Amino acid sequence: MSKEYIITICDGTGCIQKSNAAIRKALEQQLNDHNLTNDVRVNLSGCLGMCDKGPIVVINPGYTVYGNVTTGDIPEIVEEHIVKGKPLARLAIQEDHLYNRFFRIFGDAKFFGKQMRIALRNCGIIDPENIDDYLSLRGYEALAKVLTDMTPKQVIEEVKLSGLRGRGGAGFPTGVKWQLTARAGSLNSPRAASDEKYVICNADEGDPGAFMDRSAIEGDPHTVLEGMIIGGYAIGAKQGIVYIRAEYPLAVRRLEKAIADAREHGFLGKNILGSDFSFDIDIRLGAGAFVCGEETALIRSIEGGRGMPRPRPPYPSVEGLFGKPTLINNVETWANIPVVILDSGKWFSTVGTERSKGTKVFALAGKVVNTGLIEVPMGTTLREIIYDIGGGIPDNKEFKAVQTGGPSGGCLPAKYLDTPVDYESLAKAGSIMGSGGMIVIDQDSCMVDIAKFFLEFTQNESCGKCTPCREGTRRMLEILTKIAEGKGEMYDIENLERLGNMIKKASLCGLGQSAPNPVLSTILNFREEYEEHVKDKKCRAGVCKKLLTYEITDKCVGCGACKKVCPVAAITGTVKAKHVIDRNKCIKCGACFSKCKFNAIIKK
Amino acid sequence: MAKPTDIIKKKRAEAVSRIIGKGYLSSKRVYVGMATCEIAAGSKEVMEVFKNAVTKGGLTDVYLSQKGCAGRCNLEPTVEVIEVGKNPVRYGKINPEKAQQIIDKHLKKGEVIKEWVID
Repeated sequence: MSKEYIITICDGTGCIQKSNAAIRKALEQQLNDHNLTNDVRVNLSGCLGMCDKGPIVVINPGYTVYGNVTTGDIPEIVEEHIVKGKPLARLAIQEDHLYNRFFRIFGDAKFFGKQMRIALRNCGIIDPENIDDYLSLRGYEALAKVLTDMTPKQVIEEVKLSGLRGRGGAGFPTGVKWQLTARAGSLNSPRAASDEKYVICNADEGDPGAFMDRSAIEGDPHTVLEGMIIGGYAIGAKQGIVYIRAEYPLAVRRLEKAIADAREHGFLGKNILGSDFSFDIDIRLGAGAFVCGEETALIRSIEGGRGMPRPRPPYPSVEGLFGKPTLINNVETWANIPVVILDSGKWFSTVGTERSKGTKVFALAGKVVNTGLIEVPMGTTLREIIYDIGGGIPDNKEFKAVQTGGPSGGCLPAKYLDTPVDYESLAKAGSIMGSGGMIVIDQDSCMVDIAKFFLEFTQNESCGKCTPCREGTRRMLEILTKIAEGKGEMYDIENLERLGNMIKKASLCGLGQSAPNPVLSTILNFREEYEEHVKDKKCRAGVCKKLLTYEITDKCVGCGACKKVCPVAAITGTVKAKHVIDRNKCIKCGACFSKCKFNAIIKK
Repeated sequence: MAKPTDIIKKKRAEAVSRIIGKGYLSSKRVYVGMATCEIAAGSKEVMEVFKNAVTKGGLTDVYLSQKGCAGRCNLEPTVEVIEVGKNPVRYGKINPEKAQQIIDKHLKKGEVIKEWVID
C-alpha cells in the first residue's frame, strides 16, 4: 500500500438507524488486523443525502461511494480497496447528485463533516467567472429538463413536493408562492388581468454580519440565474430582475458577466434552448437601505420610488412590480431550485425536519473559533453548529448566547443550545430563522449593549413611514441608553416590554414588526442583567462604559506608563509609588488598562 | 429541432473540452479563493504569485483557477492543491511568500507543507 486513505462513514440519522456504529467497529478492527491504522483515517460525516442506500461508506482519494454496506462486507472492502488498491465494483454506487459536490474536496475536514451543501454546492469549487465550469457540473441541465419534459404546472408541483420554504427568513412555502403568482392574472383575479409578470431575486442583504447572499453570488452566480429562469417559466414571466446592493461590487460584476455569458449561450433571451420560452434578466442596484430587503419596499425602489413598504395584501404575487403579479424570492431560495428539479422534489423533502425541508446557509460569526459560511440540514442543533462546526468558543471562555436572525431575531441562552435549527423550533425558543446571520456571544459581551446595538441599527434604518416604528424604536433606544448609562429605573424595563410588544403589533412592515425582538428576547432570557444595570448600576461584562470604574491596585510599581497615556490627566502619582485615578476626571477610555504591564489596573 | 436536453448535453461536452483545453488534466490543479472576503485578506497578491510562476517562472503541468468562498473565513486566503489520485491538500492563511514556497516545495518537488494545511 503506497498512499494514505480517508474512509468516511455517514453519520446521518438514516445511517445511524442502519447500524453504522457496528460498521465503524468492524472497520477499525479490520484496519487493526492489517496493521493499517497509521495509514488510514476513519471519519464520520453528517448526512450525505443517500439515506435510501445507507449505510454509506466513502473512500478517498478517488471518491468511491459504497452503499448498503454490511459488517460482512468490511473485510472485503479493506482487503481489495485498501490493501490491493482496487475499488470494489460489487458495492460501489454511481451517484451524480447535484448536492454535496464539495464533499469530494472537503469531505474529510471536520469543519465540513456536519454540513450538507445544496445552495452552496458549487461555491469554493468552481471558477465563478467561467460558465464552462458551471456547465461541466450539470449546469443549466435543470432548465433544459424543465423546457423539454415539464409543464409549468409540473414544475410548480415539484417545488411544492420538495417542501422548500423561503430562505429570506419568513419561511413561506415557495411552491405555494409560485402557484399563487402563476394563477394571478387569470380570470380568478381580475384585478391584475394581464399576462405580464415579473420574477425578482432579492439580493438586498442588509443584516449586520450576514454575507450568505454575497458569497453565494460571488461563488456561483449561474445557479441563481438558472433558478430564476425556471421560476419565470413556471409562472409565465418574461422578465427577471436581480435587486442587489451596490456595496457588493464584485458580486455585481460576476453577476453581470454571468448574465452576459448566459445570453451568449442562449440560456437567456428569445427562444431559450430552441424552445418557445423567452426570458431575460436585468440587474438593479440598491443604495443600501435595510428596508429595501422588505419585498414591497424593494419593488417600490425598482419602480424608481423611495424605498418604503406598503400594506399587504395585495401581495406581490397578485400585484407587485408595476402592478403586475411578481414572484420574489431570496438568493438562497433560487439557488436551491436546480437541485429540486434535477435531484427531485421527493429527494429534497427527505432532507431536514418534518416542516422545514432542505438545508439552511448561515454566516457564523462572533466569538467562535471557526467563523465561516456554513450550510447544514434543517434540524441540526445550535450546539452542533457552534461546537462541532464552529469549534467552540475561543480562549476557553464561557458561552453566553447565540443571536440568530440579525436585527429581527433574538438571543438564545445556553439552555436552548439543543434547539434544532428549523423555522418552528427557533420561533418557539423566542428567536427566528431569519436570513441566516448567526452571532455567537461569550461572557465578555453585555446583553443590554447587544440589544442596544441592534436597536440602533433598526432605528437608523427605519424608513419613517409608520409611527410605531419611527417613534417607538427611538423611544426604546432612549430607554436602553438610559439603562446602559446607569440612570435606569425598574419601570424602564417594563416600559421596554410594553413598547416593544406594541411596535411588533402595530408596525406596517417586517422591519418594525421585528425590530423589538433583540430587546424583548434579551429581557426574557437575561432579565437579571438588565436589573443589575438598573439596581446595582453594574455591567457584569464590563462593557457599558458609564458603569465602569477603573482602579489601581497595590500591584502598581509606579512606572508612570498609565499617567503618560491618560488623555485627561486623571492619573496622579510619583515615580516608584502607587498611582491613583481621579474618578471625577476619568472618562473610562480604558487606555491605562491596556497600557499597564503589571495588571495593576482593574475595571469594576 | 433538437430538444433542449440534447442541446445542453452538447454544450456540456463542449464546455468540458474547453476546460481540458485549458490544461485541466495537468497532474496538479491549484485553486485560489477569490471572493470579496478572500481578496480583502490578500488573495489577489497570492494569485499574482501563482500566475507569474505559470507564465514566467517555468511552472508547468499545473492548472490554475480562481474559486469562490468555501466558507473558511478565519483561515483566508485559502489555496487548494488537487492531485489526481491523492487526497486534496488545503492551505490556509497564505501570503505571497508562502505561495512561493508552495510552488517551490509542493508543486515542483511534491513536498506537502504540513504546518499550513488546514483541517
